[in-house]
Amino acid sequence: MAGCDRLGVWVVLALLVCLAAPGRAATNDFFARGMELSRAGQFPEAAAVFEKAVEAGPSAGVLVNLGLAEWQRGHAGAAILAWERARWIDPADARATANLEFARQVVQVDAPQLKWFETVSTWLPPNAWVWLAGTMLWLALGLLVLPGIFHWRKAGWHQLLAALAFGIFLFSLTANFGVVSRTQIGLILKSNAPLRLTPTHGGEVLSTLAAGEPVRQLRTRGRYAFVRAAGASGWIGEDEFQLVCPR
Amino acid sequence: MGRLKHIRNGFIHFLWLTPFLVNAQMSPHIPPGSQLQLQVAQPMVDVSTPVTATAAFDPPLVPAGGKAFYRVNVDATESSIDWPEALPVPPELKFGAKQSGQITLMQANQYRPLASFVYEVAAPLAGHYTITNFSVNVAGVRVEVPAASLDVDAKIPGLQAPRRLELEVSATNVFLGQPFHARVILPVGPGNEIEALREIELRGDGLMVDKTAMRQAIETINHNGELKPALICEMTVTPIAAGRLEFTAQGFTAGREFSAPISISGQVNFQGGPPKYVLLVSDPVELNVRSLPVEGELPGFTGSIGKFFQDPPHLATNRLQVGEPVQLSLSFHGEGELTRLVPPAAPASRDWQIIVDPPPATSFTLIPLADEARQTPAIPFCYFDPVTEKYVDLTVPPQPVTVVGQGLPVEQPVVDDGGKAGARVKLSALAPAPGKTVRSLKPLQLQTWFVGVQLAPVAGILALWQWDRRRRYLAAHPEILRRAQARRALRREKQQLQKALTAGDASAFAQHAARAMSIAVAPHFPADARAMVCADVLSQLDVSAQNGAGTDTVRQVFAAADAQFAIHPRPSPGLLALSAGVESVLQKLEEKL
Repeated sequence: MAGCDRLGVWVVLALLVCLAAPGRAATNDFFARGMELSRAGQFPEAAAVFEKAVEAGPSAGVLVNLGLAEWQRGHAGAAILAWERARWIDPADARATANLEFARQVVQVDAPQLKWFETVSTWLPPNAWVWLAGTMLWLALGLLVLPGIFHWRKAGWHQLLAALAFGIFLFSLTANFGVVSRTQIGLILKSNAPLRLTPTHGGEVLSTLAAGEPVRQLRTRGRYAFVRAAGASGWIGEDEFQLVCPR
Repeated sequence: MGRLKHIRNGFIHFLWLTPFLVNAQMSPHIPPGSQLQLQVAQPMVDVSTPVTATAAFDPPLVPAGGKAFYRVNVDATESSIDWPEALPVPPELKFGAKQSGQITLMQANQYRPLASFVYEVAAPLAGHYTITNFSVNVAGVRVEVPAASLDVDAKIPGLQAPRRLELEVSATNVFLGQPFHARVILPVGPGNEIEALREIELRGDGLMVDKTAMRQAIETINHNGELKPALICEMTVTPIAAGRLEFTAQGFTAGREFSAPISISGQVNFQGGPPKYVLLVSDPVELNVRSLPVEGELPGFTGSIGKFFQDPPHLATNRLQVGEPVQLSLSFHGEGELTRLVPPAAPASRDWQIIVDPPPATSFTLIPLADEARQTPAIPFCYFDPVTEKYVDLTVPPQPVTVVGQGLPVEQPVVDDGGKAGARVKLSALAPAPGKTVRSLKPLQLQTWFVGVQLAPVAGILALWQWDRRRRYLAAHPEILRRAQARRALRREKQQLQKALTAGDASAFAQHAARAMSIAVAPHFPADARAMVCADVLSQLDVSAQNGAGTDTVRQVFAAADAQFAIHPRPSPGLLALSAGVESVLQKLEEKL
């Protein structure tokens, strides 16, 4: 009977691997093709292939290479966006971090100004925070509830572990809030993007934003978004910028 | 010989002295006040001479039924003359509409205006007619217009008609905005002498005359079946109002005062002496102007009417960098008025900045804004063909281009606090592997399915809590469990009982019936079913059952069941007949469980 159960687990795992395999295989194919094109200096074509790889399954390495291709073809905004997305997936990605610092020095734009809880949220990948919060919450609740249900003998380590889990849960709540708050951050894609007073094509231009400049999207109206940049707030066309984390 | 030598020596001395005599070239010295002199050196307009007026019929003698012109010339500006609405005209004469014009003459180094008023007069009856003198108000001063007489004779052969202009148009049925040509013709006068025309005008509402494209020539034309030289002024006219329009041409004869270069073909004579400034008019020409149809109008219509053709557009280069301007040249030719051709407007494009080059150029300056551009934008354009009365598409097709992005630096030096350049920082190399992969950039915090996953532990804990509550309840009320177990056991025994009945096995029937009754009553004591006896079962039956056949049935069943323990068990042939009674007893006992 135990052998049958073990076989079932393996079958389920194999099915999951089979379901995930086509997307990963497509990503790898696009990745390899994009690498070839990048090495051949065909950066527009390489960027297009890396974009397809990102559509098949976003990964930090693909986004780093996409940023390099975009940079080589002169798209500073798109390059910075790709590297920010690479760091979104993997905050510890050294290539993306170094490239972002270099690019911002060259094009003279600032990094997004993060609040303290947003900074905390950058310590781990966004999904890790939510899994951590969920696991710690149910661990704490389980340690408090299950001994009573199963008539386990009360032990000190139960309560100690529950308190620790609940503390981690509370801490991760702030990080999760930071993750949600960071989803408002976007980057300007093209140079001299007009920041308008009204969400209309003929709206008065308050100022222009440089490619790669960070903005926070506060609300949207039609094809325009109200954003807050470093020095001003106004409406910007949705094709002039992109959120780091598309909602 | 000695004279020549003297001149040569003088010339050589002059050359030696030239460096000392000639200064470097300097800007011309303008004396003070000369610019003001340039401004005021224009001839003055004569406003001091008293205004005079003349009046006459041209010609003064006409045959009955003929026509003449009544002319009044006043040497003042037309706008300063308060011309009367009605003239003292004899009722026999038919006066046409008033026509007027103005010319500026140069007399005695002064400008002097001359306004002329002309009426075409029809004289149907013979007689001597006089328009008496009358006065007009010229800038607040009364000016006397002298009397003029016209003699109309019934029989005057060989009289020439008064001189007039002829107006020819290239089309009389046109569309609104469609340019057409108008020719103002002045045939030679008496003595075969040609004269110039000044202040040529087309009088009528709803017309726009392009005088910049006016062309004058002297050509031989067929005039009333006779070849005669004539002065021809050709101009382009554009109707700007729809409907039936009527207009005339007028101009002053001006002797030899041609205002522009003129081409002459054939042999002509020019009038000698001072010019005579006579305002000549033409018969009216009627024009039917139709509005352009709204149906079928194509994008890019700029008002061009005619028949045009477009050569393939020429792009200066098809490989360019982002931000690098390139010129797209268009060339049009055709049968319409090309000088009135308005080039297409610049379309809006996301990837291109498009600048219309100033006229007369028909070209665009295109600036690629992104390297995604693979072709120039299509430029919508069309014209209206007045012959087919349809709009014709002349859109400038897209041209394939290769746009290369402006590369950004991949490394740069780092300058330390002391201003010294240190190691160069540069972009990273390509990532060798895809690395960490996620299904979506959208975080789980914003995905609804994850909220559902979080509900699963809640459901688990609730289930555990409910199970624990049930377990505690059953621990406090064990009879519920015993009765449930008894019901399950009773169902099993009843199945066995039914099998024994079917098989006709009386012994088994008795055993299962007794066991079933024991199981059914055991929870009431509570005790194990095997410890139950007949009396226990009977005690659980109600009073009616105890006094009825049920008691006998129970006793017989238990007796038969106990008989198995006898040394010589005796068969009970009528036991199976008790099945209905057993069923009834078991039903009553089951109801109490």
